[in-house]
Amino acid sequence: MDRTERLLDLVALFLDADAPVSWADIRGAFPEDYGVGPSEANERKFERDKAELLELGLPLSFVPPGDDLPSGYVVDREAYALPEAGLKPDELAVLYAAGSAALASGAFPGAQDLAHALRQRGFLAGPNQPDPRVRLELGGLAQGHELPQRLEQLWAAVSTRKKVELEYHSPHTRQTTRRTVDPYGLALRRGVWNLVGHCHLRQGIRTFHVHRVRALSVNAAKPKSPDFEVPAAFRLDDYVATWPWQHRFHPPVEVTLTLSGALAPLADSLFPKGCAQGTGPTRALTVPATDLDALLAYVLSLGPQAKVTGPDDALQRLRAMATKVHQAHQGAARG
Amino acid sequence: MADAGRTQAHERLRRLLLLVPYVSKHPGLTVDEVAKALGLTREGLLEDLDLLTLVGRPPFSPDDYVDVYVEDDRVWVDLDQRLSTPPRLTAAEGVALAAAAALLGPRPGDALHGALAKLEQVLPKGAREQYRALAQRLDLAADAPPDLAALSQAVVEHREVALDYFTAGTGVTERRVVQPHELFSHRGTWYLSAHCLTRGDERLFRLDRIAKLELTEQRFEAPAKGAGRPVPPESREQGARVRFSPKLSAWVQERFGAAASVLPGGAVEVEIRDDNEAWLTRWVLSFGGEAVVVAPESARAAIAKAAGAAIGLES
Repeated sequence: MDRTERLLDLVALFLDADAPVSWADIRGAFPEDYGVGPSEANERKFERDKAELLELGLPLSFVPPGDDLPSGYVVDREAYALPEAGLKPDELAVLYAAGSAALASGAFPGAQDLAHALRQRGFLAGPNQPDPRVRLELGGLAQGHELPQRLEQLWAAVSTRKKVELEYHSPHTRQTTRRTVDPYGLALRRGVWNLVGHCHLRQGIRTFHVHRVRALSVNAAKPKSPDFEVPAAFRLDDYVATWPWQHRFHPPVEVTLTLSGALAPLADSLFPKGCAQGTGPTRALTVPATDLDALLAYVLSLGPQAKVTGPDDALQRLRAMATKVHQAHQGAARG
Repeated sequence: MADAGRTQAHERLRRLLLLVPYVSKHPGLTVDEVAKALGLTREGLLEDLDLLTLVGRPPFSPDDYVDVYVEDDRVWVDLDQRLSTPPRLTAAEGVALAAAAALLGPRPGDALHGALAKLEQVLPKGAREQYRALAQRLDLAADAPPDLAALSQAVVEHREVALDYFTAGTGVTERRVVQPHELFSHRGTWYLSAHCLTRGDERLFRLDRIAKLELTEQRFEAPAKGAGRPVPPESREQGARVRFSPKLSAWVQERFGAAASVLPGGAVEVEIRDDNEAWLTRWVLSFGGEAVVVAPESARAAIAKAAGAAIGLES
């Protein structure tokens, strides 16, 4: 019998049973599958089938013999079935919009799991749902054609805690290095996917842009046993920069600035991690920067309603930067 | 990949476990409707239906098989052999859905936030701990602007929204009432395409320029698909040539690919057909002197003026 067919038959058997199903019952029901050849091989075959059923979400467990019941396998039907109640139509609709946008972006880790979860949601909501009208562009880079597959592999490695071998290309050094990495997690920042993990080559936690991975393989040995533990205190957010000035180029500098006029009410979205004070027509902020020039360039781009107020070094650098831009755009272009 | 075959088999199994419940719950849908709902081609669905007729439970007498069939191009099921309810989401499926939801940055009070709280309850008890552990390994929330989840809800429910919008060109913030049609991200920026009732026109709004947002109870008629969509930024005709210093050359090439041309000496040039002059000015300034507009003259003048203003020059 085809394995897919046998597994579905097993689901039907277990869901229908009112008493524990013994190994003898199972073997008797599938004589061609589990009754030919050495019994050890048949048991191993059933163990593999059982593992697949568990992975599919069938809560199968073995119960020891009771007062009037034999030992055998049982399924908790209530734990198996997807509950009907709970999500309201508007919640389902917006969840669907989010899920299908992520899926359509073409660069989402766990895309197959997501596709299936959306089908489940379709089961609850019924057919002919309106077009969700939310579109996402992820990994918006010229060299991104291998990104979806890399993300899928990396997410599988993250969730099963298997180490990966990767060839990583740095555009700064223009070198490709081969590394073994314990993948701790994936984080998306401004459309770019980051892999954070323990790098065996550098003996520390490192962040990699997934689109700069040139080759990738997941450790295939002992797929069911994890290769590493993620340290309890580890947080992804500590290792990925959302904004350019959060790149770790130097020790943190506390930069103070003001936003006035129309920019004042936008303080929280322009500087999400800045500490803004007051709600008046001018707002003062303190922003910690580990790449000062990147912060100054950003402030410059916001126009005259954004001003740096300290420290002096930051003011001087901003002035030098603005002067350079001003001179480069004076008169006719050179060359 | 060594386990690609296994993955495919797993995919098919979980789809099949949903197929019988789906047809039981929505009987008499057309083949195409069922195929679309389950993300299959018509042929793929017919193959799956064929396989299901071989599925049953011991002792496999005629009534022990799944009876699922197509009649007049409609799909029906008579005997479901206990397969009428789909399994709960697994931890991995739950995390994938939660991560997709996190992309829209739900906040307390949003429908999406409510959905996520309930999602955990849909998981089997044994999977919840794994779900929470896995959820920490996938971090996307930081990428969403604050109003994204609320706006998604407005788009999905066709609700008018009132918003304070800052126009970079004029430096003015204005209250607008809009009918939100579509949300999309482009090069890391989120846009809302909407019919602006204040201006009586189709407009694009950048989400990072929206200061205050309220969903009203006013509903509007859903627009026809693709109707009145504003021109996407990259299709504008007038382009600007921007030159980057050798220091940024690797980054520019990574982002623009073959569209970036390398000059003798290591600098690179790209043609930008994005948005308007105010946007271009901001963008060039954000490179802090490492990017220079070569043409057109008007854009050069605008940037010189903006940079001059920062050092107290009235140019």
